[in-house]
Amino acid sequence: MSTHGQAIAHPDAGAGARTGAGVDRLALRFGFVVLAVFFGLMTVLPLLILLKVSISSPQDVMTAHPPIWIYNPTLQHWRNILSSDALWSSGRHSFVVATGTAALAVLIAAPAAYVISRLPRGWRYGMVLALLFTRMFPDVAIAMPVAITFLRLGLNDTDLGLILAHLVPNLPFVAWILVGTFETIPREIEEASFVDGNGKVGTLARVVMPIAAPGIAVAALFAWLASWNDLVYAIYLFLGERTLPLMTFYYSNRGSVFDTATFAVLLTIPVMLVTLLLQRYVESGTLSGAIKG
Amino acid sequence: MMTRSGHLLRAYWLEALMVMPLALYIGLLTFVPVLQAIRMSFTDRYDGSFPTLSNYQYIVSRPDFGAAFLNTIGITIIGVLLEMTVGLILALMLARGFRGRGFFRTIILTPMGVPTLVAGAAMLYFFRTNGYLNELLLRLGLIDVPVYWTESGLRGMLAVAIADMWKVTPIVVLLLLAGLEAIPRDVYEAADVDGATGWQAFRSVTLPLLMPSITMALILRAIDAFRIFDVVMVMASRSIPVMSTFVYINYFDFQDQYSASAAATILLLMIVAFVAAYFLIVERRRGELA
Repeated sequence: MSTHGQAIAHPDAGAGARTGAGVDRLALRFGFVVLAVFFGLMTVLPLLILLKVSISSPQDVMTAHPPIWIYNPTLQHWRNILSSDALWSSGRHSFVVATGTAALAVLIAAPAAYVISRLPRGWRYGMVLALLFTRMFPDVAIAMPVAITFLRLGLNDTDLGLILAHLVPNLPFVAWILVGTFETIPREIEEASFVDGNGKVGTLARVVMPIAAPGIAVAALFAWLASWNDLVYAIYLFLGERTLPLMTFYYSNRGSVFDTATFAVLLTIPVMLVTLLLQRYVESGTLSGAIKG
Repeated sequence: MMTRSGHLLRAYWLEALMVMPLALYIGLLTFVPVLQAIRMSFTDRYDGSFPTLSNYQYIVSRPDFGAAFLNTIGITIIGVLLEMTVGLILALMLARGFRGRGFFRTIILTPMGVPTLVAGAAMLYFFRTNGYLNELLLRLGLIDVPVYWTESGLRGMLAVAIADMWKVTPIVVLLLLAGLEAIPRDVYEAADVDGATGWQAFRSVTLPLLMPSITMALILRAIDAFRIFDVVMVMASRSIPVMSTFVYINYFDFQDQYSASAAATILLLMIVAFVAAYFLIVERRRGELA
């Protein structure tokens, strides 16, 4: 039976094949294609609309009946945004904070994740659960007291302050991914390294970390993305300065239709690039262990 | 005992040193702030007495808190149901081998690479009164007058839930797909030999074996849905209050840390109660089945 693969996935496919009616099968295949096209369109359309608005003249958008086609394309919104000082200062903040967050997250979480991955099964499970447990805390319940404390310490509106805040949601997540990564490294490799005369530190630096490097890179990219996208902590900690998400929010709050769209597209471009890079790893199953815990 | 722990420390000093920064960080910048928020929520705003329920009494009496509470629960229920349903359909589709699968997968996973905030902004143009959804419905003749989508109530909940769903369904798809791919083929062959139809195989083989993945996805998604913030801030920061935006508005607009803390604590309780209830109910039912 060649239909097993299909029976697994589609509840009706097996039944269709069983009756043997070619018409049924054709109808099913047609239904499948319609469904795929529908979901595909629904996924892509919002982004296309955003892109369209960012290059449309007001008369194509600010009407009671917005047209689908762009009749009066313009690069004016892009020109405005790209020439504004706000873009460069907020872009710099976003980049510095995201990069700092990714680097520190890996630096702090990787050693701990390694130790957790070498714990006995029960302990390891408990630690991973404890990491997940922190996810139940609402960001707003953390961001507000942190903002009050940072205000006292003069850390508001500084890159360092926002990096410290972004580590809060990212550390448990990065540690979680990395426990999965280190688990896949067999202990025999470490033991062989001990036999070769390497100490604990030498084994970690020369044997374990290089093998784990791809997993660490993926975890760092995730932290980078999460920081780049964050609005919650930025909105609490950045009162005068702005990051790119704050700029987008600022414009949408003000009701500037075109600036919002343009900033949104601008914010998305680097993220899309990083995600495309990530997708290859997600495909190869680097994360499947982490996702399943 | 002393010597034993001393011995352990000597043997595992490196391990202790490696775990310490993470443990300290989570302690200082996660647990301490949460405890601070909880403490503040029980502190009286005027005389500083502790513990008191005055902040809770105050926010519960406010209509915007009631709206935020109901909206959060409504958005979570609608959103999670939609995401799990569509996520399962997409995962089942992707689990099949078909031409163009790789392309379809890339398309479907695109929203993962879009900031949540941007998802909200994109949906703004979709759900606006003169947005594309109304235009589509008008052209199809389904409505005569443009609908105001982002109003408080069921319609607003639906709009926010759909906007959030667009962004997060790919994660549900990935989680469920990983679960589907872990189901061994021969289970289906056995079901086939037993004469199960496709639907029966799905009901009695796929679904039970997929339960751990479904639980995982559902819990992760529900927790994030309770905490929804970005999408609401961009789409309807004032007209559709949720718990997180209620906290924000009280802290910034009203300079009222006490109400904000009380609302944040209630949100934390909602999440913990949900997770506990889910495990109690699902685990009990699983116990009955066994």
